[in-house]
Amino acid sequence: MNKTLCFAKRNLIEISRDALSYIFCIAFPIVMLVVMTLVNESIPKEANMTIFRIDSLSGGIGVFGQTFVMLFTAMAVSRDRSGSFLIRMFASPMKSSNFTNGYILPMLLVAVVQWLVSFAAAVVVAKVVDYDVKPQGLLLATVVLIPSAILFIAIGLILGTLFNQNAAPGLCSVIISLGSFMGGIWFDVESSGGVLYKICKCMPFIYCTKSARAAIHLDFGTEAFLIPLLVVTSAAVVLTIIAAAVFNTKMKADLS
Amino acid sequence: MKNETDAIQIDAIKTSNLTKRYGQKTAVDQLNLTVREGELFALLGVNGAGKTTTIRMLSCLSTPTEGKAEIYGFDVVQQKDEVKRRVGISTQDTAVAENLTVEENLRFMAGIYADERTAKGKEGVNQKVERILEIFHLGEVRRKIAKTLSGGWKRKLSIAMAIIGDPKVLYLDEPTLGLDVLARRELWKEIEALKDDMTIILTTHYMEEAEALADRIAIMIDGKIVCHGTLAQLEEMTGEKGLEKVFISVAEGKGGNHE
Repeated sequence: MNKTLCFAKRNLIEISRDALSYIFCIAFPIVMLVVMTLVNESIPKEANMTIFRIDSLSGGIGVFGQTFVMLFTAMAVSRDRSGSFLIRMFASPMKSSNFTNGYILPMLLVAVVQWLVSFAAAVVVAKVVDYDVKPQGLLLATVVLIPSAILFIAIGLILGTLFNQNAAPGLCSVIISLGSFMGGIWFDVESSGGVLYKICKCMPFIYCTKSARAAIHLDFGTEAFLIPLLVVTSAAVVLTIIAAAVFNTKMKADLS
Repeated sequence: MKNETDAIQIDAIKTSNLTKRYGQKTAVDQLNLTVREGELFALLGVNGAGKTTTIRMLSCLSTPTEGKAEIYGFDVVQQKDEVKRRVGISTQDTAVAENLTVEENLRFMAGIYADERTAKGKEGVNQKVERILEIFHLGEVRRKIAKTLSGGWKRKLSIAMAIIGDPKVLYLDEPTLGLDVLARRELWKEIEALKDDMTIILTTHYMEEAEALADRIAIMIDGKIVCHGTLAQLEEMTGEKGLEKVFISVAEGKGGNHE
């Protein structure tokens, strides 16, 4: 087994033995899916509000869940940095890429499992509320959500590297709030328009939600799907490169 | 004790004018040190003497400001990969993965050090883990999660993790710090058993530990090695009996010779 997989396996075991992982990464998104569906059922049909309808909601919940994967990434990295464990690892033959990929891979797996569980929950909820959701769209979203998962993991890696165990989760909470608000998960940002929409368009979060929702609707239009997916993928690549550089630089600075 | 006059022994560690400065502060000052293969070399000193900084430079964790250090002829700055393959470190704090079991921790470290070129594979890792579990008598706690272990067991695990990569040089940075007398004695036995297989640099505050384990002892003060040698040589230099008295004598500037 190579060093990256070895380190990734260790990180995966660490996460899997933390009860909070199950609460925040799996249970909480499902609870939100159910609660928001109940909210949607209470909204009069005449309001024509579709954001909490299960087909739109599940895409938003997919992205919302990933913000918690970001939180767990930040917590894992900052916890490792706070003790001597990383010092031992830095004296080992591991390279910088082994570390960053070793953090990213297990978190990506958590994000995919999280989405698959949410996807199953969305199918059940759709049956209960008698709405026809396309399972192939939900499956496609599993792939489409990967770049946005990497994007959030990279943000977690950056925050966990730069801040300590106390500060990193707090800052992640800010990103969780910003991401869900500006990502259009809980309200229709596009319809609101104005300055808020302009600001949201400058952030990557809304593109994460748009591409996931378009995949679920099997809408492969340029505006709805291709451009948002391209933006998210580009942002994920850039942020991953930044995360690797920040991790490498900060670790060297801490050790010297 | 090793024979001091053994001429055919190889130099495992060699430093020449090794220096580390943090701004205006000199943590390690012109360190010239040679440790022979198979020796257990103890670095003694008060807090801030430069022991940990020295170990960090020798294990490629920190870059020297000046001077040179070699591990089996490999430069710690220019040939980091070669050096890292040959060293193991057990830090002051127990550096273990807290949510992994004892066995998982060992398996993890064995995997990190497994040489892909020789493709030892899973069997190699399994054998290594079993051997280390046996050497350190960790069998009874092999399935316990590391964070639930007592301080003594954690230290044992931390040292076991440092040697699972079969290092030629092992750095033990205050390995018995905070342990009770019994746990400390127990760990000494484990360290004693390692002496024939690798070169060990031990930093400690406990004089009796250095007396019991070390072939040679160096006393560091303000980043400098002020004297070094076997216990008998140090006693002769200072005219004192016992390492504690030797140390106090040197620390108070009564004895010792600058290297």
